Amino acid sequence: MTDPTHIRNFSIIAHIDHGKSTLSDRVLEMTGTVASRDMQEQLLDSMDIERERGITIKSQAVRVEYTADDGEVYQLNLIDTPGHVDFTYEVSRSLAACEGAVLVVDATQGVEAQTVANAMLAMNANLEIIPLINKIDLPAAEPDCVRAEIEDGLALPADDAVLASGKTGVGVHDMLEAVVYNIPAPQGDADAPLRALIFDSYFDAYRGVVALVRVVDGSMKKGDKIRMLATNAEALVEEVGARRPAETPLPSLSVGEVGYLVTGLKDVSQVKVGDTITSAVGGVNEPLPGYREVKPMVFTGLFPIDGDQYEPLKEALEKLSLNDPALIWEPETSHALGFGFRVGFLGLLHMEVIKERLEREFGLDLLATAPSVEYHIYKTNGEMISLHSPQEMPDPGEIERVEEPYLKAKILIPPDYVGAVMDLTVQRRGTFVTMNYLSPTTVEMLWEIPLSELIMDYFDKLKSNTKGYASLDYEFDGYKPSKLVKLDILLSGKPIDALSFIVHRDKAYDRGRVLCDKLKEIIPRQMFEVPIQAAIGGRVLARQTVKAKRKDVLAKCYGGDISRKRKLLEKQKAGKKRMKSIGNVEVPQEAFMAILKVDE
Amino acid sequence: MPHEPYRALYLHIPFCVKRCNYCDFATQAIEADSPVIDEYIEQLVLQIRQKAKEGELGHIETIYLGGGTPSYIGLSRLSMLLYTLSLSLRLEPDVECSMEANPESVNEHLIRDIWALGVNRLSLGVQSFDDDILALLGRAHSAQDAERAIICAQERFDNISIDLMAGIPGQSDESFKSSVERALDLGVSHISIYPLTIEQNTPFYQQLIRGKLADTDDDVQAHHMQIAERLLQEHGFERYEVASYAKPGYACKHNCAYWTGVPYLGLGVSAATMTQNDSRRMRIQDGQVTDDLNRAQMFAEDIMLGMRMSAGVSDGLVEQAARELPKLTETLTSLVRRGFIEHSNSAWKPTEMGWLCGNELYGEILDLAPGDF
Repeated sequence: MTDPTHIRNFSIIAHIDHGKSTLSDRVLEMTGTVASRDMQEQLLDSMDIERERGITIKSQAVRVEYTADDGEVYQLNLIDTPGHVDFTYEVSRSLAACEGAVLVVDATQGVEAQTVANAMLAMNANLEIIPLINKIDLPAAEPDCVRAEIEDGLALPADDAVLASGKTGVGVHDMLEAVVYNIPAPQGDADAPLRALIFDSYFDAYRGVVALVRVVDGSMKKGDKIRMLATNAEALVEEVGARRPAETPLPSLSVGEVGYLVTGLKDVSQVKVGDTITSAVGGVNEPLPGYREVKPMVFTGLFPIDGDQYEPLKEALEKLSLNDPALIWEPETSHALGFGFRVGFLGLLHMEVIKERLEREFGLDLLATAPSVEYHIYKTNGEMISLHSPQEMPDPGEIERVEEPYLKAKILIPPDYVGAVMDLTVQRRGTFVTMNYLSPTTVEMLWEIPLSELIMDYFDKLKSNTKGYASLDYEFDGYKPSKLVKLDILLSGKPIDALSFIVHRDKAYDRGRVLCDKLKEIIPRQMFEVPIQAAIGGRVLARQTVKAKRKDVLAKCYGGDISRKRKLLEKQKAGKKRMKSIGNVEVPQEAFMAILKVDE
Repeated sequence: MPHEPYRALYLHIPFCVKRCNYCDFATQAIEADSPVIDEYIEQLVLQIRQKAKEGELGHIETIYLGGGTPSYIGLSRLSMLLYTLSLSLRLEPDVECSMEANPESVNEHLIRDIWALGVNRLSLGVQSFDDDILALLGRAHSAQDAERAIICAQERFDNISIDLMAGIPGQSDESFKSSVERALDLGVSHISIYPLTIEQNTPFYQQLIRGKLADTDDDVQAHHMQIAERLLQEHGFERYEVASYAKPGYACKHNCAYWTGVPYLGLGVSAATMTQNDSRRMRIQDGQVTDDLNRAQMFAEDIMLGMRMSAGVSDGLVEQAARELPKLTETLTSLVRRGFIEHSNSAWKPTEMGWLCGNELYGEILDLAPGDF
């Protein structure tokens, strides 16, 4: 066991793209944990999608041995956290496993919304924060400005901020020294009953559920019988160890240490992030603070384009769920799209990542309906239903009121863009709360905005209306009543369930009209006329028509044209495959996402 | 592989005085006296002689000199080429020998000499009799040049075809219609009507994506195709293929070969060769195999191509093909039900809708024997 005075547990936190993963790579390299020749960019991002998108989805913990300038050897546990607002809860649990955090700020970008959000999370977790200004090797680096922003915007002393470059390795040594000297050693009682915090878990086909843990009190070793307090699951410890970054078994994990634990359990939902592990016999009953059930916020219908892929899709979702308790799904049947699933996600990024993994890792061709949120419908008979899909909306006569999830959104922008953000966010039913100048160049605006509006390409719009300067962070702010109605889209007079959506009554007419126009562009001409209508109940609000196709033939067909023609017809066929035949209308995939792109 | 004899020969001449704005053919704008042309023709001559020596030209029934602009390369080179042909295969009056020409490079001498050397069908790239449209297309001739060329050609040729383009952005119905009427007045025997397609890698495409040219409009193109059909049929032309109209007896035999499963040999850049036997058909272009079809796919292709012609597909061919394509009859019945084709006089033929929306029906027919593209 390592003396807790020689353990430092810390995280590196940052806004996306500020260079967190690259800095982590340098730490591994400089401490000799990974030989240079084995270095792979962004080593801690283990999924392909993480590396490609430059984002971290799963938490990671790596242990390095560092000989400090005082000659002592320290055990440093670096916990890499997800870098996206969808995963705020996971971040908060990872932070709870640490005593300190290195707050990385890009020397060319300065403080951004997630810098603030992550710094707040770290402060709330009572962590010692070491500001680090990264990318100082870039010509556009302005460390003095950034230092001022950190002091003004985050109220953190930044005189001693470490100046570093993950790319060149400059300042990484300074950072490690600051970690050793500024971050407190873990406290905890080695002789008390076991208490350990789970900050990540995943399913391994050969070993069962593996958890990443921080031991708070006591210790655990192979053969111990343990219990999870929130889920009440019991398990036998099959192995404990640390990642360096390859898994290295250890005799025990004791007070203050971070490592992994192999449980042999088959269900990842028994080992939840934020839960407390104790001894099955003689353990504690008091959980560590901060545990919460993760609830999906965004829902979408996922349908295989080829009906034969229903079973493979189900199997793929089962496989992904093994490792992702936040992913929930239930079968859904659509008249238009056939059999599929209604899937719940933590947020839009989570949704995109899962869809991409389903398509890429499992070779599925999927059609996704427009994302929706969970509405609460209070019926006149006193019943309350949680609605995940517009299709399930009861008749207007049965509805007493509808509530929808709201968010508290924090937007950071240069002062010039306050007007642009006002316009956009008011248009999206946002309510302005307040505004603060964090520095002469950065304004923080606080808003209350319905989640359903945020998932309608709000972030893209925000970025483009502010020339890319805006950054956004949000948290759930409860349910509030809204005047919401279901808008139906009819093709050739038949309502298409997968195109229905829920919209604020005052916006129904505009959205309906614009969506009809949009669908007219998207739906290709068929051999017959296709009327498009938007309607609430039986009342038609807007109408458009896709005219019948009159010509579809290539006149020239000589010699070599015949080969070209064959290929063209093949391509046309492949194009049709990407469409869904609804009734007898061929509808391309974009149609189901068109509602997201509707701009009043 | 042992193969059926070639019955059609295509020679490609990839040179033009300038490139037109819509053109994505294998051709280049080049000085008429460039040694590049001499070298190319020399190679073509060698290949013709070689094929003759190998006995590949013994059954040729139609010849087509296309381009590019064959008339652009001038009399002496054309004479060498035609003379080589006459020494290499049976170039008698019953053998159809077409040559493409553009109005600006047609003159009396050229007409007399190529006719004397065996060319018996002239295909003139007129495109329009409207000077504004010709300028838009980037053609090297005026409407008057086109008329003069036709009249000049008529001194020797009775089998004269012209190409007219339809559905060009900015081309009014009136402009298109009067071009068709002008052609009728001039008394040509064959007219091809092509709706403009804006291909990638053309000046038109560049103009289109820069917003300087409107995209083609399918409704307008359909309307123009219908104007042409009505006018030409009133004047004794028969539409024998999607884009081809001829007075009785003047259908282009060479083009019909492409559509009826006749093997053809193509010489020169980008020229396609089709070779086949009972169980396999291959198409080769610039040394690359572009199609390799089995027996079922051959039948599907023959039926698809047959549906481009007014003669359609005979019951006999359908009966034979059905042995390889078990779903053929079902598909044809469904196409009849949906109005794409009809059955009359022992053949399956395209309807008006089948002419205009052929891709719908061609795709379904090729699907009966899918390839592995």
